[in-house]
Amino acid sequence: MLPQEQDRFLPIVNVSHIMKKVMPANAKILKYFINFITGEASNKCQREKRKTINGDDLLWVMTTLGFEDYVEPLKGYL
Amino acid sequence: MDQNKQGEAAEGGNIGHPAHGKNQEEQSNPMIAPTNPPKKKSLEEQLNDFWAAQREEAKMTTNFKTHSLPLSRIKKIIKTDKDVKMISAETPVVFAKACEMFIKELTIRAWANTEARKGKILSQRDLVSAISQTASFDFLDDIMPKDAGLPRTSIASTENAYLNMPPQQNVAGLPYDAPTMAFPNLNHHAPN
Repeated sequence: MLPQEQDRFLPIVNVSHIMKKVMPANAKILKYFINFITGEASNKCQREKRKTINGDDLLWVMTTLGFEDYVEPLKGYL
Repeated sequence: MDQNKQGEAAEGGNIGHPAHGKNQEEQSNPMIAPTNPPKKKSLEEQLNDFWAAQREEAKMTTNFKTHSLPLSRIKKIIKTDKDVKMISAETPVVFAKACEMFIKELTIRAWANTEARKGKILSQRDLVSAISQTASFDFLDDIMPKDAGLPRTSIASTENAYLNMPPQQNVAGLPYDAPTMAFPNLNHHAPN
């Protein structure tokens, strides 16, 4: 019987477990990144008397906070 | 006549070929260094290439349905902010891609630190260094462990600490090296 393709690789669960041990902070970092951008976008909306955060607010905030490189690739997602 | 010429060319055509004679020796000699060794890219060049690739990828993207991160989870994280009332449909989508690029950028910067210390494994201290070296990542300073960037304790100092420790005791309250006479029953064997 021929081995399945997935049997020729290491189990993804084991690999993930090793990665989690090395980088336990990764998920927390992303949460902070989202909250950081969202907080500033929320402030912008409050200043402009708006209730809904949209994609343009996020891009404006990213430019302001030093993530200007992100803006051009993200424009296609609006 | 032409056939003879072709035959001669076939037989003796390799006389002046660069793969033979002195040139062949130069090519096969491992001691002779190549004229242009591959130059390692600096972090700045790597990042420039990365952002160029991201821009190209964004132009080529046609499928906006599949994402590398779950949109529902992103939405939940956004909603943890009490000030956020409503978000548009594209907000989690933009965040999914932004987070993906953020992870990639952070990894490139961390890996540059790994290579700088001649390491092979990307560790948490490389991540901490990358965050501390990048101005736009300053917001992460609070959550990063302060001791992750420090080198590990040497074996010698660990041994010294072990030698200076007071004698440890077991559960019964006796030192580990207590003679077995403390437990007389252990010395007696069952009668045959």
